[in-house]
Amino acid sequence: MINRRDFGKIGLAAGLSATMGTPAWAASGADTAVKAAQKYKGLSITVVWEAGLQSLDPTHFSGPKWKELTGMDVKVVEVATAEMFTKIMQDYKSGAGAYDALNVIPAWMPDLAQAGALEVLDPYVQKYSYASELQTIAPTFRDNWMKVGDKIYAFPDDGDVFIMYYRRDIFGDPAVQKAFKDKTGKDLAVPKTWADFDVVGAGLTDILKSKGIYGASFFRQPPYAMYMFEERFRNEGGKFFDANTMKATINSDVGVKVFTGMRNENKFMPPGVEQFGFVENLAAFLQGQSAMTISWPPYGRWAEGYGTDQEALNWVPKTTIAGKVGYALPPGGHPELAAGFALSISSTSKNKDAAYLFIQWLNSEDVSRQRVQLPYTLRDPFRNSHYTDPGYLALWPNAKDYLAALKQASQTGLLDLSLLQTDKYEEVMRQAISKLWAGEDPKTILDAAAVQWDDITQKIGLDKQKNVYAAWAAKSGAYPKL
Amino acid sequence: MAAIVHPDRNFKYWLISPAIFLLLLIGLFPLIFSLVVSFMRVTMLETDTSFAGFVNFVQLFRDGRLWQSLAHTVLIMVVALPIELLLGLAMAYLFLDRMPGRQILVSLLMLPTIISPIVAGATWRLLLDNRYGPINQIIGWFAGHPVPALWTVNPTLVYPAIIFCEIWQWTPFMFLILLAALSNVDRSLTEAAEIDGARFWRSFRYVVLPAIFPVMSVAILIRGLDLFRIFDIIWALTTGGPGTMTETISVYTYVQGFKQFETSYTAAIAFLVIALLTVVVTWAIRRMGLAK
Repeated sequence: MINRRDFGKIGLAAGLSATMGTPAWAASGADTAVKAAQKYKGLSITVVWEAGLQSLDPTHFSGPKWKELTGMDVKVVEVATAEMFTKIMQDYKSGAGAYDALNVIPAWMPDLAQAGALEVLDPYVQKYSYASELQTIAPTFRDNWMKVGDKIYAFPDDGDVFIMYYRRDIFGDPAVQKAFKDKTGKDLAVPKTWADFDVVGAGLTDILKSKGIYGASFFRQPPYAMYMFEERFRNEGGKFFDANTMKATINSDVGVKVFTGMRNENKFMPPGVEQFGFVENLAAFLQGQSAMTISWPPYGRWAEGYGTDQEALNWVPKTTIAGKVGYALPPGGHPELAAGFALSISSTSKNKDAAYLFIQWLNSEDVSRQRVQLPYTLRDPFRNSHYTDPGYLALWPNAKDYLAALKQASQTGLLDLSLLQTDKYEEVMRQAISKLWAGEDPKTILDAAAVQWDDITQKIGLDKQKNVYAAWAAKSGAYPKL
Repeated sequence: MAAIVHPDRNFKYWLISPAIFLLLLIGLFPLIFSLVVSFMRVTMLETDTSFAGFVNFVQLFRDGRLWQSLAHTVLIMVVALPIELLLGLAMAYLFLDRMPGRQILVSLLMLPTIISPIVAGATWRLLLDNRYGPINQIIGWFAGHPVPALWTVNPTLVYPAIIFCEIWQWTPFMFLILLAALSNVDRSLTEAAEIDGARFWRSFRYVVLPAIFPVMSVAILIRGLDLFRIFDIIWALTTGGPGTMTETISVYTYVQGFKQFETSYTAAIAFLVIALLTVVVTWAIRRMGLAK
């Protein structure tokens, strides 16, 4: 017979299990959101999303599905990436409240949070029991893209990271291997350092140029090349600032070395590489014109032809290299977690609770798993479960290696520089890179850039920025452990 | 005898007052508000509306990038404007006399001016693209080998590219204005000059030019102001790069106001531009005798 003592034990056990994680019988984040959103049937919420392929997710998949489940309309406001920050700030500053849910690039979060443009999500997370499901986001994204200070402002929702893609058929070709050995005295292998990359890239160009193949191609347009500089600079041991004085140190010997290397590498890349953007570089690689490239995860999917039969992707050049692509970490071993997106709520939204339920549902285990596998989406795996999902693994023969590379990259990845008014520092870097392609001296460019960075820091407030930088630099993904 | 009061003396002012009020609201209020903001410290992070003195205006004179952008703007003006004028005049002369299909040809020539400048800029960016644009391909045919000219990256090519696109789009405007002006020149004067033995250039200089000068002045003034404000072509082609090499005053103002959110400083820049333009336009109007 159960006595009072047994009741006490049972009650204690139940209470403990409730605080120790989600019990097996608890509803998922998606189910909770759907159930709670029933009271908002007929309501319309507005979500800001990157224009182009990204917005096909809410317009073709998640928006219609959410309406079907909850009766809520989702209006998608498509905004070019370069304008997203401006639009969000303008809406906040004007108090218009035109936006409910937001997509934000994590590097913007200190600015947006400080300005008061983002809603603190902790109360909602607690109210709708989403904390445990947040813990299953891959650690790099979870620990670095969610909070500003100790408050949650966004849910990481896109596992952007740079991957090196290389032609396995070229690297494995005995004739090419012999020619490379004869030329350089070294064995042909996927480069692990930038010094190796220079040798391999130049060597392959010499050997294969007559066939229209170059050793490598990169996107060189400043907005993209800026991320590549940030990654390589840190992999080579560079620091953005002196932590004590907050003087910019991008013009150190390391910075000059990286800039000089970037410029010299253009010589063994396709002519006109200085103008290569995302699409030009993609075309070069998919059409078999380069043996190596570095880019975001979609390159890997499209190289295998996944989803390119969709009408939305009919602009993607037809791949000629399906089944021939290998995946590796970029030289240095610590790739940039370039850009990325996180879901947030506008602080001026008039439908915060409804908007929150939508982003919780989007970000949940179940729904996010489906979203990252949409053929036309640009959302990349960001949860632990995504990297081992059986459905994803079956998408193409080499998907296992692809997901393994993404997972490894996320574990070793480097955060984008994130300070107050990061865009001002980034604008200086973009201009510096465009000057580099215009032929100016790397040292001169970087010295001028460092002076501009120092001016920006002074204007923002040295102590204020120092604290923000210190908090960022303390994160495990800020600088690699070399 | 009592004075006769016309009943509609004040009524006409009442009729136009709503329109004037609206104009003042749309035009004058933002001007005054901008002036007020220019004396504050409103930025992205701070909305300090207390009086900040002349700090923003002092910053104007210390901002090297601002003056460089003005220099870039003037460079584009002094190169593009004369070329547009001369080309427009030449085209107007070509179409002065009646010819078969004249109206259709004139309409076709006007097409560039009706395209939105940002669309024109984006289209030219594609045309000038090294890998996919036809311009380099055609040049390569003539050269006999590929010509990887990077029109939007190479510092020696960016200004020719911008100025060419600008001339392509707006020369037809000059052409149309000057065609109208030339059409109204008294033929008897030019014929008389011809009979007296005056050659084309003397006739043009002493008969035609004085006749079309007022209209031509207006066209020069309008295009000059447009060139001062140039933004779309540059933003589409180079976004002010490489570096800040092609950053004009409009591009710089946009970057400061809408990228950097330096709201108060941007207001100060706007007033500097207003002051400069007022001086230049006043001088131009007096010099060209437009006020007479």
